[in-house]
Amino acid sequence: MRLKFDKDKCIGCKLCQLACSAVNEEVFNPSLARLFVETYYAGLELKAEGRVCTLCGQCVEVCPVSAIKMEERKLVLYEEVCINCGICVDSCPEGVIVQKKNTVGICGLCEGDPWCVKSCPHGALCCTEVI
Amino acid sequence: MMGYQNRVLRVDLTGKRYSEEPLRIEWAKKYLGGKGLGIKYLYEELRPGTHPLSSDNKLILMTGPLTGTTVPCSGKLAIISRSPATGTILDCSIGGHIGAEIKYAGYDAIIIEGAAESPSYLYIRDGELEFIAAGDLWGKGSHEAENELLRRHGRDSRVLSIGPAGENLLPMACINTEFFRQAGRGGIGAVMGSKKLKAVVVKGTGGVRTADINKALPAINELMRNSTLTDDNLWAYSDGTPLLVDMSQASGILPTRNFQDGTFEYAKNINSETMTGARYGKRGCHSCALGCGNITRIGKAMVEGPEYETLALCGSNCGIGDLEAIVKFNRLCDDFGLDTISTGNITAFAMEMTERGIKDFGIRFGDVEAYLEIPGKIAIREGIGAELALGTKALAERYGGFDFAMQVKGLEFPGYEPRGSWGMGLAYATSDRGACHMRAWPVAQEAYGEVDAFTIEGKAKMVAELQNYNSVKFSAIICDFWALDLKTLAEVLSLVTGENLCASDMDRIGDRVTGIARLFNNREGFNKEQDTLPGRIFKDALKTGSTAGKYIPEEQFEMMLAEYYRIRGWEEDGTISQRKIEELEI
Repeated sequence: MRLKFDKDKCIGCKLCQLACSAVNEEVFNPSLARLFVETYYAGLELKAEGRVCTLCGQCVEVCPVSAIKMEERKLVLYEEVCINCGICVDSCPEGVIVQKKNTVGICGLCEGDPWCVKSCPHGALCCTEVI
Repeated sequence: MMGYQNRVLRVDLTGKRYSEEPLRIEWAKKYLGGKGLGIKYLYEELRPGTHPLSSDNKLILMTGPLTGTTVPCSGKLAIISRSPATGTILDCSIGGHIGAEIKYAGYDAIIIEGAAESPSYLYIRDGELEFIAAGDLWGKGSHEAENELLRRHGRDSRVLSIGPAGENLLPMACINTEFFRQAGRGGIGAVMGSKKLKAVVVKGTGGVRTADINKALPAINELMRNSTLTDDNLWAYSDGTPLLVDMSQASGILPTRNFQDGTFEYAKNINSETMTGARYGKRGCHSCALGCGNITRIGKAMVEGPEYETLALCGSNCGIGDLEAIVKFNRLCDDFGLDTISTGNITAFAMEMTERGIKDFGIRFGDVEAYLEIPGKIAIREGIGAELALGTKALAERYGGFDFAMQVKGLEFPGYEPRGSWGMGLAYATSDRGACHMRAWPVAQEAYGEVDAFTIEGKAKMVAELQNYNSVKFSAIICDFWALDLKTLAEVLSLVTGENLCASDMDRIGDRVTGIARLFNNREGFNKEQDTLPGRIFKDALKTGSTAGKYIPEEQFEMMLAEYYRIRGWEEDGTISQRKIEELEI
């Protein structure tokens, strides 16, 4: 399974990002979330932007030390192997890998029950099966 | 205590200096944050008699312990000052994301003092502050200013800004954020204008820590599912406040033609059903599970809104039954930085003055063309705008019509006719900032509910309890639209702060916050004398609908007021005794 964002249902509350940072980093901090979801006005037009991990595998491919692996259709980071080079952060097409002090943060789908999905009040985030 | 950043940013605009200091935790324990803690700081720091538009007045941006967490509907920011419109205490509440951004930048509060020599704005980023010249933004609408500031500082910054109304020190000037969210009332925008402060831009990348986040996160999520996303609250998502148009019409409390009546023949043109037909999006504030914001577009006119207050005061109360015109008026007010409640009232007052032949302002009920020129004229004091910019009370003092100048202490009426909700009359008269629906809202029980609306029986107690409830809720900072009980409020505060709080603690804090607001007002010379309503409410009967024939007899009102003071433990003259101050531990 992977995450899917439906912009028409998003109200821009940021609860998804807050829950993500809370469960992964033990702090409420949207800039530490492994997804980015926002609604905003551009020229007074309401826009929505949602970036989530699509399981494209780019980070697995570019990691020079093979610290990120795709296991049972989920990304797993081996922190003890990670050399914190930041290549995955730069190469993630969705920009949802977080650069931390000693390592990086990737979306591991919360053991199959993602907190961002659980926290979304109006179903703008959901899980979809990968075929 | 957890949940707080334990840090306050103090900004001196006069000397272009800033400093950081610890949050007064002993005050936070007694007042939580938001409304209560902001008022406590102002009460302790402001010299009595300080003119609201002098550089000695302060502007306090106050978050709460829940701000920036996943607690539903906790995203608002309180802004506290002495009101230019009333001279009373003024605490406003503004949505969007700026409250959380201030927390992420590392602060619980920003206290802004002094006045800049020339137009300026503040740029705050994670503990760094810049004073930036705003000569090029001065005179610009709030929307253009915000767009430009987001272009300069990044779309992920959050902006508080004023429009020309604030720059021109009008008593109905508001503060804007995210284009369509306002700290609307009491001329809070004029305080920024008097400080030559066009905007405050904030960007924060830090976080908020709570007592035991692994316990708090699932517990709060469960509360959101079981207590927030329920039928009691989801009207805010499905309809938003426009739902109240039909409810007010049915109960005869929809202000019509300057409160001459309580039903409007074109109500269905401006009700939620009509609004829903013109809706093309929904938006919520930070951490809001409900999302009350309706984005409405009719032809080329677009606004996030109009809210019920705007539909009522700028619609039925001006005899305007044309939603497109109200959307345009709303958009103009937002951009010029005008509070729609006060602007709608002033416009309606000018219409009635003209129709009665007391003073010709050249504008009549239902005259869309003249109506749409009003916001622009008021904001820059042009033509009749120069007079309307005085506000309803001062305008009546100049030209007459005081009995139908619909205001208390200089603040214009919200959209609920008190003759069809007698408790609401008491709530307007005793609210800490003049006529306000956010201090107590007995309308829900009286006009919309089962309680007899046309009696004073039990109303003093009801209003006092509702005021205490809102006082503590707006100090913890939970949005009005999550109708949580005090036990649940205590529960979320305990989860975040790690303190062991219960419902009776909440009630006590509510009583204390209401008390210190009253004490501030007493100190500025307010007492029983100003706790009253316009003559129209005591003398003129409503004409149509379910409130036809109703008015509040003045002696009944006086009895209700006296009972209210007794229940509160305040003195007969509306002041608070030293003994009571000690009892409340103010």
